[in-house]
Amino acid sequence: MMLVPVTYRGGVYRHNEIMDLIDDVGGYIVQKHVIASDVVLLCFMPKDDVDVLRAAAKPLGGEVIDSPLVGTEIAVVSMSLEIHHLPHPSCDIAEYIRRLGGKTNMVSLARGPGKRIAALNDEERDVINEHDAAIYLLGNFENCIQKKMPVLRRGINVPIVLCGGPDKEALQRIIDPPLDGYVGNVGRFMHRTKESEELGKLDEIIAETTRVLEKKRLAIAKDPISVSPARLMDIIKEKVPQILDVTSPTPLTVQMDGLRVKLPYDPFAGEIRALEIEDGIRIGDICELTPSRMRDYILLKIRPFSETNVVV
Amino acid sequence: MYAVEYFEVECPEPLGAEYYKQIANDVLLDHNLLRTIHKLHIYVDPGVPIFVAVGVLHKITSVVRVRDFAAVNPLAGKITLSLASETYLAPMLKIFLSRFGQDHVEQADRFTVVLRDVDVDPKEVEDIVVADPSESVFKDLIYALKCIAPEGFRVRRELYSKEKGKFYFVASEDTLAADVEALVRSKFDAMGEALP
Repeated sequence: MMLVPVTYRGGVYRHNEIMDLIDDVGGYIVQKHVIASDVVLLCFMPKDDVDVLRAAAKPLGGEVIDSPLVGTEIAVVSMSLEIHHLPHPSCDIAEYIRRLGGKTNMVSLARGPGKRIAALNDEERDVINEHDAAIYLLGNFENCIQKKMPVLRRGINVPIVLCGGPDKEALQRIIDPPLDGYVGNVGRFMHRTKESEELGKLDEIIAETTRVLEKKRLAIAKDPISVSPARLMDIIKEKVPQILDVTSPTPLTVQMDGLRVKLPYDPFAGEIRALEIEDGIRIGDICELTPSRMRDYILLKIRPFSETNVVV
Repeated sequence: MYAVEYFEVECPEPLGAEYYKQIANDVLLDHNLLRTIHKLHIYVDPGVPIFVAVGVLHKITSVVRVRDFAAVNPLAGKITLSLASETYLAPMLKIFLSRFGQDHVEQADRFTVVLRDVDVDPKEVEDIVVADPSESVFKDLIYALKCIAPEGFRVRRELYSKEKGKFYFVASEDTLAADVEALVRSKFDAMGEALP
């Protein structure tokens, strides 16, 4: 069963019917937002049943949108937490991606600013590597980007989308070896993105990130993971009730090939490993659980079919 | 209203100069400094690396008095001040407390201050000077220039001549060169001004 990421937007009225429908056809709700009288459901639906959901949403005044960023966790890497980079553009970009279903975490570097003095420490590197992709937000000068990028990408093994002030061609020219994605003309700025041209640039970042993630998705599809992360999310939610007490907006963050479980590693990792998925197959058999560098969360990576010989 | 008469950003990378002009404009606007600045020349060279801002300020002659932000209403043994904005509330209260004493000054709410049993003409209360913007303008300006300059540029030198109304701000991530004043002088020359 092929699951596709979609977003449902509609009113609170009878939205439970939509949730039941998603559940009945074998879909998964990754995140639910209730904003005043509106409901936004980020979900995975079986490909053949998306039209059923569309038909059900129509009489309720709801809409179903394809959201390729649902079920991805993206690091938005800002050079520092100073006013130079926050809240514009870092927060604008992170927030825009969130609106389109992606889960973003802002990673601000301790020693990111400067040209000669810029550096990336091991904790920052590991945190970035826990994500599906990283969006690097750099400054306005070619000279600086060229000089500091080799240091900032060292040890990063997730796809990187680079945003910077110079145009896209200039970025492609100065970065060697090439990165996965580039968005030019988005460097450092000190005002809110509200002009149509600036919003267009945000859309360009989304398009480039989507393209990069699609490429990663295809690579995963060649050697499929042993279980869908959304299914694991449901199992953990059902069998580990403590997860319901976590106040984070996404206690279980779905990634493309895993999950971030926002429970402490030591007391819960063993319990999660022992959970049965189906026919005696346990989570520990097909997944690797490691302590996350982000707080004391659990990072769960699903092993591919070639390693486990199992798809559940 | 005053306007910036000369505003240039110079950089070996033309696109970088364009972005920095926008950044400088946004920051100065956010900090309400555009009306204060008469001339401004910014030079950024990420290759060196160095950031230089030189400029001339308008002469600030005005002071902030109580009447500028509060209505003074005398009424049977007390004077009630209704404030339009809280910006100068703290310095005003400080002056009132030292002049009239704690027993005679009462802050009813955020926007109301009452002076009880004070032997003073309401006109005189209206004329009390609460703040002198020319004293803090340099601090505000340096803070704004720190926001404009690239973030890693933490080695700084700054100068402000209050009499001549001129300033310069130099920043780099490396040690500043010994002859940095020559560069600053050339930027003042570009504006048609002399180094203070």
